[in-house]
Amino acid sequence: MDAMNTGIPWSLIAPLIGLQLILAVIGLISLYKAEATRGPKWLWVIIIVCGNILGSVAYFVIGRKDAS
Amino acid sequence: MMQFKLFFRKEMLEMGRSYKWLWVPLVFLMLGVMQPVMTRFMPEILKSAGNMPKGMTITIAPPSGAEVLAQTLGQYSSIGILILVLSVMTMISGERQSGVSQMIFAKPVSYVSYAAAKWASMLSLVTASFALGYGGAWYYTVQIIGAVEAGAVVKAGLFYLLWLWFAGALTLLVSSLLDPAPGIAFVSLGAALLLSMASGWLPRYTVYSPGSLPQISAQWLEPAGEAKGAVGAALLCLACIFIFFAAAVYRIKLRYSKG
Repeated sequence: MDAMNTGIPWSLIAPLIGLQLILAVIGLISLYKAEATRGPKWLWVIIIVCGNILGSVAYFVIGRKDAS
Repeated sequence: MMQFKLFFRKEMLEMGRSYKWLWVPLVFLMLGVMQPVMTRFMPEILKSAGNMPKGMTITIAPPSGAEVLAQTLGQYSSIGILILVLSVMTMISGERQSGVSQMIFAKPVSYVSYAAAKWASMLSLVTASFALGYGGAWYYTVQIIGAVEAGAVVKAGLFYLLWLWFAGALTLLVSSLLDPAPGIAFVSLGAALLLSMASGWLPRYTVYSPGSLPQISAQWLEPAGEAKGAVGAALLCLACIFIFFAAAVYRIKLRYSKG
């Protein structure tokens, strides 16, 4: 509740949160479409959802098996 | 030229398919926007962190817009380079391992156009991502912190972009030399880090080193900023990018010309 009292203008932070959400959603879509990943899929869901930017990046870099 | 266009389109398509055209620009944008926002709210963040003795006050001089932009560039030097290296490291080695390049070079295909397409697509990804992120940082800085002189911002951005190009070219060269992805990341990140640290430790001997480009762009942002050896460093950096390209072409040729 402290955050409310200090009067953080959410209009400034909202774009950041929005970007993060977009990144996570793209990660989840890619994960859903992927046939196989390195490591179990449910683990990547947790990592993408909980580990904000770094989680999604880790998925794109490590988790994706490039279809070739 | 025909072949180059074809390969270039293929590289772009592949970068799109692997979501690189989405997540790399997005991450760069977030990195850029985060710094001005964090700086603006540092006093509030410290206040709500709470483990400060009562009565203690910290006064932080509000930083100028140029300082915040320089800090943003600092973010790109660490996390940005990491993201860049990780996103392009398998562009050459991945195709080698999956056998795609063997298939391509079974036909009479120019090695130069193959490598040039890789280089061109990497450079466009880096340029677009950095332009987006840096533009976002600039916009936010002007909105919430203070005006910055436009000329300095553009100059600093261009020199910084050169440094990112250098790191990308280096990564692609290493990718043509080594197979394991972690090895590629380690070698190219290590080399880029060493170069930029060397220009901090031995500024006398590294005036024109590409590693001094981040410092040069930070210097442009300082009040009355005058960067030493900027043109020399830029030219040497471009030369390095070209040499890396030529070396990678030679390496690919060696590997596949015997059939």
